[in-house]
Amino acid sequence: MAEASARPTHDGAVRVVIVDDHSIFRSGLKADLDASIEVVGEAHDVESAVQAVTDAAPDVVLLDVHLPGVGVPAGTSGGAEVIRRAAAALRQAQDGAVPATRFLALSVSDRAEDVVGVIRAGARGYITKGSSGADVSRAVHAVASGDAVFSPKLAGFVLDAFGAAGGETAAASDELDRLSAREQEVMRLIARGYAYKEVAAELFISTKTVETHVSAVLRKLQLSSRHELTAWANARRLL
Amino acid sequence: MTEASAIAGPRMSRPRDCLATGVCAGLAAHLGWPPVVVRLAFAVTALLGGAGVLLYLWLWALTPWEPGEARPSRRAPVAWLLVAASALVLGFAWMLGAQALGTGNATVQWWFGAVLAGVALAVGAGAWASFIDRPEPERGPRHELTIRLVATGLLAVTALALVLGDAASRHTVASFTAALAAIVGIALVYAPTLVTAWRDLTEERTKRIREEQRSEIAAHLHDSVLQTLALIQNRAGATSEVARIARAQERELRDWLFDGEAPADRDLGTELRAFAADLEIEYAVTIDVVAVGTSSERASGEVAAAAREAMLNAARHAGGEVSVYLEASPELVEVFVRDRGPGFDPAEVPGDRLGVRQSIIGRMRRAGGSAEVRRGVGGVGTEVRLRFPAERAATVERATGDMNRG
Repeated sequence: MAEASARPTHDGAVRVVIVDDHSIFRSGLKADLDASIEVVGEAHDVESAVQAVTDAAPDVVLLDVHLPGVGVPAGTSGGAEVIRRAAAALRQAQDGAVPATRFLALSVSDRAEDVVGVIRAGARGYITKGSSGADVSRAVHAVASGDAVFSPKLAGFVLDAFGAAGGETAAASDELDRLSAREQEVMRLIARGYAYKEVAAELFISTKTVETHVSAVLRKLQLSSRHELTAWANARRLL
Repeated sequence: MTEASAIAGPRMSRPRDCLATGVCAGLAAHLGWPPVVVRLAFAVTALLGGAGVLLYLWLWALTPWEPGEARPSRRAPVAWLLVAASALVLGFAWMLGAQALGTGNATVQWWFGAVLAGVALAVGAGAWASFIDRPEPERGPRHELTIRLVATGLLAVTALALVLGDAASRHTVASFTAALAAIVGIALVYAPTLVTAWRDLTEERTKRIREEQRSEIAAHLHDSVLQTLALIQNRAGATSEVARIARAQERELRDWLFDGEAPADRDLGTELRAFAADLEIEYAVTIDVVAVGTSSERASGEVAAAAREAMLNAARHAGGEVSVYLEASPELVEVFVRDRGPGFDPAEVPGDRLGVRQSIIGRMRRAGGSAEVRRGVGGVGTEVRLRFPAERAATVERATGDMNRG
């Protein structure tokens, strides 16, 4: 995948901006991230987040889903709004080039409804705030190198939303509204708590292939107009 | 009741199918007299300083309906009788006023009393229609409205006659007081409706305020307490006791904030989630439960029992992070329980260890499904896999249902 190639990092470290309205959480997270991650900015609401992201142009933005901010349109979460505004600002700053900054959503809850809005706004994955520093660091590296980060909960949600339990399978690989048989297998294993490496071993494929499948699923999750996805989000006014 | 047994005969009660209130019929049945005699006795004693009326009201208030389910129905149109009585008394007052208003204070008092009595009867008719007739199916709201309109007309005419008639000039205070009483009477006829409407309005407002407060609290707690609980889990290490307590608290708080009350009959997913929460408090373990599809499988079923056993095993022997995955389709229910503990080979488990063999594999086989215990990928941990055909679950359920019915 072309987009999966990692942007060269400064000093080999991944540059990160942390966006969260709780300073205690920000400092805690900062202390927990491992040495290969450099925090180049912090922000506490939508406006400061857009500013910090535009200024620092980091590799990864660790983004709280529930973020306060003025001018967040009704029915959008603060996190989703940051992704939209920051992506537009970055594109403008880089003369229309597709920005290399990637967003990883941090949510206090693992309710899929809370997360689907930011994912559809463009986040490359999400983790819960209860995750350990090591887990967050791993996720940051994964997102920085272009992979999607799927928790078991998100995988379960995807299977549910795409009707996998009801036996719906995509006939063509470019179909957006259903998952292919292989994608379903990968999602099932992730939902069962398998790491990508273990999924690869179980299915006798390479880890890279697993990542490709996961990225494809993420793309479908973002672009699909499947009724379940839009209905969920609309009902909770997340989109 | 011990006291009742001392008294001969049954306790007095009022028949549900009655004339007006059932007091006379009930008393007659109790005393063994014909009802007509009782009614006459009440009428006669009513003339002796109102003793009969008081006794009647007292009995009405204290005698229960005879036992039964039927709604009491009354043969006499009491509200109409009250309206008629009111009209008669007011007409009598009008005649009294027209005849003898010049004569003296005694007549004026009689006249004034008659007007008040007429007003009271009209209000009584309205109250009877609102409180007693309205629940009766053959009378109902339409009847209530008619009575009210008639009573209103009667009272309005009375008030007008009092203000505009001859009496107003000669006994101004008395006639205006009486007119005021008639107007208050009109208000009282409609009071029950107004009170109900007012009560509904306040209730609705209270409800809305409570809802607003609740969502405000939810938003606040989401921003502060839930974040703090997440932070505690984060800092204390996922499987430490502090983190587990924080996680349990977080889950409870979240359920309360967002989900309201749990349904009485839990499905499999809810059941496994609740069981995971219990295990997390007891053992050094975090359990992620992911449920896909809608399951018709009940929390009381064999699959749930086997899954609980597998989760308990994982919590007890492996600890750490445990993943539970439940997928339910119309044909098949599958549960995977995966841990990352030291793992074990089912073949090496001695025969006297009943846990896995009996409670999981045996149970599933007996129920018509299957269970498989295997080493996790790369030799890490254990994975238990339960499969249960869903049509089978449905037929089993139907069979037990038939048994319960038969």
